[in-house]
Amino acid sequence: MSAPLILLPGDEVPSDHLPSNNSNPLKLGPGLRLLSQPSSKSTPATHVLTATQAGLVTTDAKRNTVSLLSFSNCRYIPTVNDLVIAQIHHSSVDYFHCMVTPHTAHALLGQLSFEGASKKTRPMLKQGELVYARVLSIGVGAGAEVELTCVNPATGKSDPGGLGPLIGGMVFDVSTGMAARLLRASSSSEQSDIIDGLAVLSELGKKLESLGGFELAVGRNGKVWVDCSNAGDSAIKATIAIGRCLQTTDEKSLNPADQKKLVTRILREMNLAS
Amino acid sequence: MTGPTASLSHLSRADGSASFKCPTTGYNVLGSVNAPIELPARRDALKPEEATVEVFVKPGNTTAGVGERYVEGILRTMLQKVILGRERGFPRRGVVITLAILGGDAVERGDSYLTLLPALLQTSLLTLLSAGVPMSMTFSTALLAVTKSGDIISDPSPVDAKTASSLHVLAFSPKGHLLLNESQGRFDFDTWESVRERAYSSCRGAVITGSDGDIAMGEEGEDSRAEDFIRETVEDHLHRDYAWKIDSA
Amino acid sequence: MAPPAATAAPSVPPSLSLPPSQFARLQPHAYLLGHLSPPSASNQPSIRANGRAPSQFRVTSANAGSLTHTNGSAVVRIGDTAAVCGVRAELLHTEDIASWSVSQASGSNKRRRLADLGEKPTEEDEDEDPEEDRAHIEDLNLLVPNLSLSTGCAPGFIPGAAPSALAQSLSHQILSLLHSTRLVRADDLRVWYQPPNLGPEELERHNDEEQMDVDAEQSATAEEKPREIKAFWVLYIDIMIISLAGNPFDAAWAAVLAALRDTKLPKAWWDVDNETIVCSDSVADARKLSLRGLPVASSYGVFEADAAAGWRANVIPDAVEENAQAQKDKKGSPERWILADPDGYEEGLIQERACVVIDKEKDGKTTIVKMEKNGGWTVDTEDLRQLVEMSARRWDEMKRILEQC
Repeated sequence: MSAPLILLPGDEVPSDHLPSNNSNPLKLGPGLRLLSQPSSKSTPATHVLTATQAGLVTTDAKRNTVSLLSFSNCRYIPTVNDLVIAQIHHSSVDYFHCMVTPHTAHALLGQLSFEGASKKTRPMLKQGELVYARVLSIGVGAGAEVELTCVNPATGKSDPGGLGPLIGGMVFDVSTGMAARLLRASSSSEQSDIIDGLAVLSELGKKLESLGGFELAVGRNGKVWVDCSNAGDSAIKATIAIGRCLQTTDEKSLNPADQKKLVTRILREMNLAS
Repeated sequence: MTGPTASLSHLSRADGSASFKCPTTGYNVLGSVNAPIELPARRDALKPEEATVEVFVKPGNTTAGVGERYVEGILRTMLQKVILGRERGFPRRGVVITLAILGGDAVERGDSYLTLLPALLQTSLLTLLSAGVPMSMTFSTALLAVTKSGDIISDPSPVDAKTASSLHVLAFSPKGHLLLNESQGRFDFDTWESVRERAYSSCRGAVITGSDGDIAMGEEGEDSRAEDFIRETVEDHLHRDYAWKIDSA
Repeated sequence: MAPPAATAAPSVPPSLSLPPSQFARLQPHAYLLGHLSPPSASNQPSIRANGRAPSQFRVTSANAGSLTHTNGSAVVRIGDTAAVCGVRAELLHTEDIASWSVSQASGSNKRRRLADLGEKPTEEDEDEDPEEDRAHIEDLNLLVPNLSLSTGCAPGFIPGAAPSALAQSLSHQILSLLHSTRLVRADDLRVWYQPPNLGPEELERHNDEEQMDVDAEQSATAEEKPREIKAFWVLYIDIMIISLAGNPFDAAWAAVLAALRDTKLPKAWWDVDNETIVCSDSVADARKLSLRGLPVASSYGVFEADAAAGWRANVIPDAVEENAQAQKDKKGSPERWILADPDGYEEGLIQERACVVIDKEKDGKTTIVKMEKNGGWTVDTEDLRQLVEMSARRWDEMKRILEQC
């Protein structure tokens, strides 16, 4: 791969950076847009790709995509099929109104959009409770409402597993970039300790196995839910330790070796080292 | 002469933040941006298809007054033009930019705000970049003063600015368009033209190269160009953010 | 487009036609564009929806001295935008200025030096110590403009609302322009006192704070004592936009200018016996302000032919290429028009604006006092040069109007 290419808004993506696989149409990720050069007498109409944000150009030759990775602390903008952790704000007859990001309109979550929910068996969520949900639709046009779901409407199952109310545990805020990395790391099929430069999860998993392990849910909106209820007396300590590890890794953009050191240090400080 | 310094994304609660310090004028500005967010109190003022840009300027030692309202207006018009307010998630929402003046000479009542304007513009551009707000282009700014004897000096100190016969703030797009011009004082059009030329070269370098060959040019220029300063700041930060990705590649 | 449609089919009235007024509301952009780009066959000139040529300003009238309870006042009307300005002068005693005795010490020394050199400031002299002039007017805030957009001047201005951002920013622009043009002379605002040449005992009684000075003076020469400033006139310049139909700045500034030209300050002197300032009742004693120059503001807006130009996903051409391109197809229909003095309807369709404030010296040389452009990327050197020329013509017109009022 060539040197990393960083673009500013308005910069064109040089054509030699685009994947050359022509079998599939090229897909554009966030931060890029297609501009057309209006045709004039001398030149025919052409198209150029330009950046709309500052970021690092990444391409995926396999899926023929090109996207721009912007700063990791950007605000989350809902996209269909993203997994998010939402907090219930209030409920109305048909919907729970949930907060996905601060200072934005509430997202709607159907009262019956849960696995196996019917009028009688639907979960009675109260204000402040958390749900792990998928973005179902973001609506069309300006100011449309975002709709969430905890169930795959086609199968009636919570798909992928684990969608639904999050009970117990604790939520930590991380940057949206970190959340995306954690999601990739936890869903990746690779059997490697370091995925996307993240060693912190596998390291924590190893170190905390003796305490009964932990549960983790990552929302693209920059939230991580952690639960260690199996750990008995040290459950709270372990939860906080995990949160601190993730947040410090995020804030200081640690490399894998430092992440391992950090885990060891924090667990020792909290008297959790086994 | 030392150039300006800037850092990005150091406030954790805001969606984007930046601080900018210019040693010659002494100004130090901290900016934050939240976008896109709901502006429930401003329902009627919102445009249906676009994002609303709000700018707040907070002086360091007093409350904001009429001068701040005026400069906020300039910044809003300017930024509205470069922000792509129709991208997904932005229509009917607000882009709220807050700029706090941390250091430098206070702008007195009725004083010209021009000396501070470039610092405010640069900071707001950096905060918008840091927040990932979609924009159609970036811009670079220059502050120039014409002295009584007719010399043009760039980035005048507050004392020079006070005694200058005219003050000029210009902003250029990366493609060389004049985005903003604010001139004050007594001057004629020929003076302004040479000011524009000088500003253009300080923003973009005297030689006009191809539209995209500019990326690696920062090192060789004798005096730093305003355009490169923004680019370098952003590149530094992105390199740090994505060290894991760049190193592994 | 309404007007062409109306002319094209006079015999068969179209079944679905709208009167122009409704069309103007529904499709404001297309309406204005239709006026500005008439079909080439019709051989009509490009004209705005309000009947003006693109570079034509609205009919302007000014009337000075209409408010009797002010020291100076003016009403300026530019089309349907009307601004009233009243100037009220109040006295500020130097003994009420906290930092006066400190700052004055240095100031009076300078003044004495000036006098020694025989450079007695005359009315024509531009350089009567500009630093002191600036310091007095700006640091002591002797000019206090305040602009308000009165209730109902345009739809949307409701009673009891706080001063809008527009009103505040206009206030600042006016103050800033008053300062940067140095329109008002500080000397006009000073109330002097010439202490008589009395014996030292007498003097000591009057001004104790200057005792040191007095001793020094005494030993040196028995010359006359330096005169001192006893008070300043503070000008409260209140501007009210009573009707807002676009371009408030030009109207407000013209009103300020006309009101200041009209302003008469009563003769004031220091009364030694009562230790106070006394003003003369006599109108004959009052004197006008002698303003520096006559800066005239003219604002412009850029109307783009493509309503969606701002957000269409098109490549923005490089500025240099664009210039070359523009030179080539100069004959084709223009893509944008620079409209002078945009009215309220046009302002809603305009993003890019420019404002030029111009003054002309006695020899007819044009001086730019302020030049702004913001909100777009189409106006550059060539356009600005034209705008300056246009503003220079406007200056002649405004000068005539202001001198007649």
